Amino acid sequence: MKLELQKGSRSKILAAIIFGLMTIFVIRLFYLQVIQHSYYIDLANKEQVKRLTITAKRGKIYAFSGQTPVPLVMNQDVYTVFADPTETTNDTAIISTIEQVAGGNARTNLQGLLNKKDSRYQILATKITLAQANMIKSKNYSGIGFQAGTRRVYPEGALASQILGFVNDDGLGQYGVEEKLNKELTGENGLLQSVTDVNDIPLTIGNHNINKPAVDGVNEVLSIDPSIQSYTEQALTAGLKRTGATRASAVIIDPQTGKILAMANLPTFDPSKINEVKDNSAFNNAVVSVPYEPGSDMKTLTMATGVDKGVVDANSTYINTDHIQVDDVTISNATLGQTGTITLQHAMNWSLNTGFVTVAMRLGDGTSITRQARDTMYDYFHNKFHLGELTGVEVSGEVTGTVIPPTDVQGNAVRYSNMAFGQGMDVTMIQVASAFSSIVNGGNYYKPTVLAGRIDKSDNYIPNQIKTPTHPIKPSTAYQVREMTHIARTTNFPGVDKPGYYIGGKTGTSQVIKNGVYASDETVGTYLGYGGTESTSRYVIMVQVSGDHKKLAGNYDAMPIFTDISNWMLGYLNIQPKG
Amino acid sequence: MSYQYTQTFNNRRQQNWSRNKNTVAYVSNIKLGPVAHTVIVALMITVLGLVYLTQATKATSYDYKTQQIDSQIASLNTQKNDLQVENARLTALETVKNSSVASTMTTPASTQYANQQ
Repeated sequence: MKLELQKGSRSKILAAIIFGLMTIFVIRLFYLQVIQHSYYIDLANKEQVKRLTITAKRGKIYAFSGQTPVPLVMNQDVYTVFADPTETTNDTAIISTIEQVAGGNARTNLQGLLNKKDSRYQILATKITLAQANMIKSKNYSGIGFQAGTRRVYPEGALASQILGFVNDDGLGQYGVEEKLNKELTGENGLLQSVTDVNDIPLTIGNHNINKPAVDGVNEVLSIDPSIQSYTEQALTAGLKRTGATRASAVIIDPQTGKILAMANLPTFDPSKINEVKDNSAFNNAVVSVPYEPGSDMKTLTMATGVDKGVVDANSTYINTDHIQVDDVTISNATLGQTGTITLQHAMNWSLNTGFVTVAMRLGDGTSITRQARDTMYDYFHNKFHLGELTGVEVSGEVTGTVIPPTDVQGNAVRYSNMAFGQGMDVTMIQVASAFSSIVNGGNYYKPTVLAGRIDKSDNYIPNQIKTPTHPIKPSTAYQVREMTHIARTTNFPGVDKPGYYIGGKTGTSQVIKNGVYASDETVGTYLGYGGTESTSRYVIMVQVSGDHKKLAGNYDAMPIFTDISNWMLGYLNIQPKG
Repeated sequence: MSYQYTQTFNNRRQQNWSRNKNTVAYVSNIKLGPVAHTVIVALMITVLGLVYLTQATKATSYDYKTQQIDSQIASLNTQKNDLQVENARLTALETVKNSSVASTMTTPASTQYANQQ
């Protein structure tokens, strides 16, 4: 039997309605699935696919203690405990637990914080460890949450803080190695793009998953020796107490490699308590960032220039009248009375300005500081000893200082006569100590460095290669000037050093320019010396003390600090005395 | 279920080289109509779908296990790191200087070297 819907029948109308509805559905589905395809795919991806940043761990910083790297800066996962006061129910128990577990990291007035029922986020404790967080979590309090974070920790406290610097709240290194090597220490964050469930757990389904692992920061190993650094800071503190100075700096270099063994400044700061620092100058590493007139320390480099050029030696003589004329300026000695025909060794012993102006003159025509003399001095001071230019030491804030060239209108004979005994130029302690190292090591200039190497992912120490030195002066020159400073020390300060060692050095007392003129009530005291055996100098120590409106001298104020550190270093480095 | 011989034929190659072995093809007596075919195909698709879903769910369950293990590793790493920090603090210079052992140490009056220079 052939079934047919009758024209106009209800069945036919129903069929037409269903057909119409189906047509609407098809059109709507076509619109949603074809025309709006990209839109809904994007919407779904936004909802389902999460891009999670895999945070790279910031590199640790180690120091090289003997043969073992010890950590100076580490990372620690810490947690912030917060409460939603509208959800918390057992406030008394919560307060008791937080105070008991978090201790000093708990906020004060916890009850007051939990009473703020109009707020949904109140921090109850910060910087608690995983173990502490787990103890609180185990109580299952409602309305209590945890936020994970990382902080830098300093097991050695404030030790070497100006070398290290710190990391600010944005994760950027500030000052010291943290700033200078920020890129290497930071590493590179990774990316995890994946479909996630409602709890943000990544699932392997989906076609757009990305898993790019993070590259952790480099673990740097400093050449700083924590024991030497600690003793240096201790000696500076004692020196400040004794002298009444308000600022002190010291740098200790291994002259055979250029590695910095200690670098300290007072006042200093604790990197874990940077919010408590009232004077930001405490962050500065004055050894590299505060230029000063080197004063009589510079006489060692002037002498080295003269000896190396063959115009003078330790036994060269001149007639000292305590005054010397350069153009229209008369230069006088700070110490008067050593008049007559004297040797340059004698001038070194008594730190006589006239002796070293004479050296500068003999670099020219013997009676004046000619252009040739100035060119030679500039070549040695700036190009060979690298004064007035960055050393490249790996801490932030290094400044160049100023050594005016003879081509400059100010680079005249008077300027260079002053430079011969350390005035009329601005240099940093690191520049002077590095230059002086080349005198005590036989004529090799090593760029100073605070980096000894790095620690790889397998915890293996990879040492840096020692950079090839330049040779600013001949070995014979170096030996002669080293001997002169040894004689100068033993003549002026007999009996202060441990017997059986070969110690030398030079005092420096510099005037300070305030408002464009030399201040009459303020001087900076420095001492630049070395120690070890006659064959090998093992360390160069430079000490500086200063203070506003304080007249501090190299021999009385800085030298005893040098002696303190030097005598300790001889024992610490286990250097055997000559029997 | 039984089958009957429907055809017998000789492979042309075998005609020359084999020992007169015949190849036999069987034809079932059961006839499937279009509805049965459709149902079978639908069932097969359903089974395949179930297999896919089972495998997909299985893979996802591994994701959760992986996540749990990753969390455990992270937690253990944090604990290890905390212990390293504590160890560094306990062996720090200041701690050692202030230890009871250090407080009883004295400076030697003189030092002698085995190989004096």
